[in-house]
Amino acid sequence: MGLLILVIPSLAATGCTRAANAKVLNISGSTTVLPMVTAAGEEFQAEHQGIKVGVQGGGSSAGIEAAVTGASDIGTSSRDLTPEEAKLGLVDTVVAIDAIAIIVNPDNPVDHLTKTQVKDIFTGRVTNWRQVGGRDLEIVLINRDEASGTREAFLKKALDKTPFTKDAVIQPGTGQVRSIVGSTPAAIGYISLGYVTKDVKMIKYAGVTPSKANIINGKYQLQRKLHFLTKGKPKGEAKAFTEFVLSDKIQTGIVSHEFVRVAK
Amino acid sequence: MNFLKWRERALESLFLICALTAIVGVLLVFIFVTIKGFPIFEKVGVLKFLFSLDWSPSDNKFGILTFIIGSFLVTAGALALGAPMAIMTAIFLSEIAPKRVQKLVRPAVELLAGIPSVVYGFFGILIIVPVVRTLFGGSGLGLLTGWIILAIMILPTIATISEDAIRAVPKSFREASFGMGATRWQTIWRVVLPAAKNGLIGATILGMGRAIGETMAVLMVLGNAPIIPKSLVGPVGALTSIIALNMSYASGDHQTALFGMGIVLFMISFFFVALIRLISRKRS
Repeated sequence: MGLLILVIPSLAATGCTRAANAKVLNISGSTTVLPMVTAAGEEFQAEHQGIKVGVQGGGSSAGIEAAVTGASDIGTSSRDLTPEEAKLGLVDTVVAIDAIAIIVNPDNPVDHLTKTQVKDIFTGRVTNWRQVGGRDLEIVLINRDEASGTREAFLKKALDKTPFTKDAVIQPGTGQVRSIVGSTPAAIGYISLGYVTKDVKMIKYAGVTPSKANIINGKYQLQRKLHFLTKGKPKGEAKAFTEFVLSDKIQTGIVSHEFVRVAK
Repeated sequence: MNFLKWRERALESLFLICALTAIVGVLLVFIFVTIKGFPIFEKVGVLKFLFSLDWSPSDNKFGILTFIIGSFLVTAGALALGAPMAIMTAIFLSEIAPKRVQKLVRPAVELLAGIPSVVYGFFGILIIVPVVRTLFGGSGLGLLTGWIILAIMILPTIATISEDAIRAVPKSFREASFGMGATRWQTIWRVVLPAAKNGLIGATILGMGRAIGETMAVLMVLGNAPIIPKSLVGPVGALTSIIALNMSYASGDHQTALFGMGIVLFMISFFFVALIRLISRKRS
C-alpha cells in the first residue's frame, strides 16, 4: 500500500515533465494527404526541436470534423467544404493540387475509358468488362467510404453527382483500394495520383493520361485541391507547420513528389 | 479482535464495490448509448429506421435493415460452419482423445481465443480472400470470407464451454450405457450429447454473441457494402463494421443513427444473455 502511494506521484511527475518538453501538433484527415503530411512532419520535427507532429488518417470528413471540434490542430481534406461546413469558422489553406487516377489491375487489357463509360461503370449501368472493350468478366467495383474526399470529388467531377451504385466493395483508405485493385483481376477503383504504384494500372480518362503536366495545363479533368483546415487563423505550431508546407523547399520537394505544387 | 472484524468488513465492501462496477458499467453504457441514439427514432421513426433498406447518410437516409440482415447472415453462416466443428472438437477432447493428445489440442484451442481480431482480419485478407477470389471470382471480400474467419474465431468459445458441459455429464451415465452393450459412438450420440444438450446450446448462443459483436475482423473482410449480398461471395455490411467505418467522421443525425445501431446491438446481446439465462435455469 505504502509503495503504491509513493509510486503514483512520481509517475504523475514524469508525465508532466514529458508533456512540458514536447509540444504535440495533431493533424488528421484525408488519407490522400497523409503520406505527404507524414513526410513533411518528419522534416519539420528535425528542424524544430521539441515539437512532435502526430499524423492520423480517417478521411477528409473526419479531418474537417476534427478541426471543427478542436480534436486536431489541423484537419486535412481532399474535398472542398460544404456550404454548412463553411459556416463553422474554419480557415482553409490550399497546400497542393492532386489528380484522381482511375486504376485497374495490370492484367486488364482496357487502358482507356470515356467519360460516359466511367460514369456507367460507377453508377452500375455497365457491369461487364466486355461492354467497354475488355474481357468477359464481371466488373468488381472498389469504392471508398463516405468520409473520403476522393469519393466526394470523384462523385462531383466524374459522375456529375449521379449516385454511385451501392453494389461495390467499400474500403476505408486509399491504400486498401490500391491493394485490392492490384490483386483482383476484374477490379476498378480510383485513388490519388500520388498513390499510384506499379501494382495497379492507371487508365486514360476521356483520352487524357493523368500526369502532372496534364494537371497543370488543365487537360486532365479529375483534379482537386488539397486543403489544410484550422479553427480560425492558424496559430503557433499550426501556423509554423502550414508555412513550412507552403515553403518553396517543401513545395518543390515532398509536395511535388506526389502532387502538383500550389502557385506562388 | 476489533481489527480483524474491521478488516473483514473492509474486504467485504471492496468485493462489493468490484461487483457493483460491472453493474454501473453496463448501466452507464446503456444510458449513454440510449441518450445519444434515441433522437434518431424520433427523427426517422422507429419503423423506418429498423425496416428501411436505404442507407445513404449523405442524403439523410438512415435505414439499417440491410445491416441487421447482414449481421444475421454473417452470424448464421459462421455458426453453421463453426458450431459443429467446435462441438466435435469438444467431444474429441472429452471423450476420445488420449491424455497426451489432449495436452496438445487444448492449449491450441485456447490460444485461438487469445489472438487479437485485427490479426484474424489480416489473416483473412492475406490467405482466405485470395482463395475465395480464385475459386469464386469477384473481389474475395464478402459473406463467405466472413463466415470462414468468424467460424475460426468462435470455435474456442463454443469448444471450451461445450467441453465443460460434456465433462459435467456424470460418469455413471456412460458406464450404464456401456453396460447395456452400447458402442462408444452410441454412447456419445444417444447418451452424453442429449444429457449435455443445454450446455451445448448455451455455448452456441455465446458463440453467436461473439460473432455478431465482432467488429475489426469483419470490417476488414466483408467489403462493407450497404446492400443485401447477391451471392455467397458478394460484399455485405454488418452493424458493427458500419459503426466502426462511419464513426470517425459522422456528425449530426448520421452520428445519432450510429448510436441507434448501437442500441439495436445492445438489444440483440441483451436477448442472447436472457436466452442463456433461460436455458441454464431450465437445466437446474
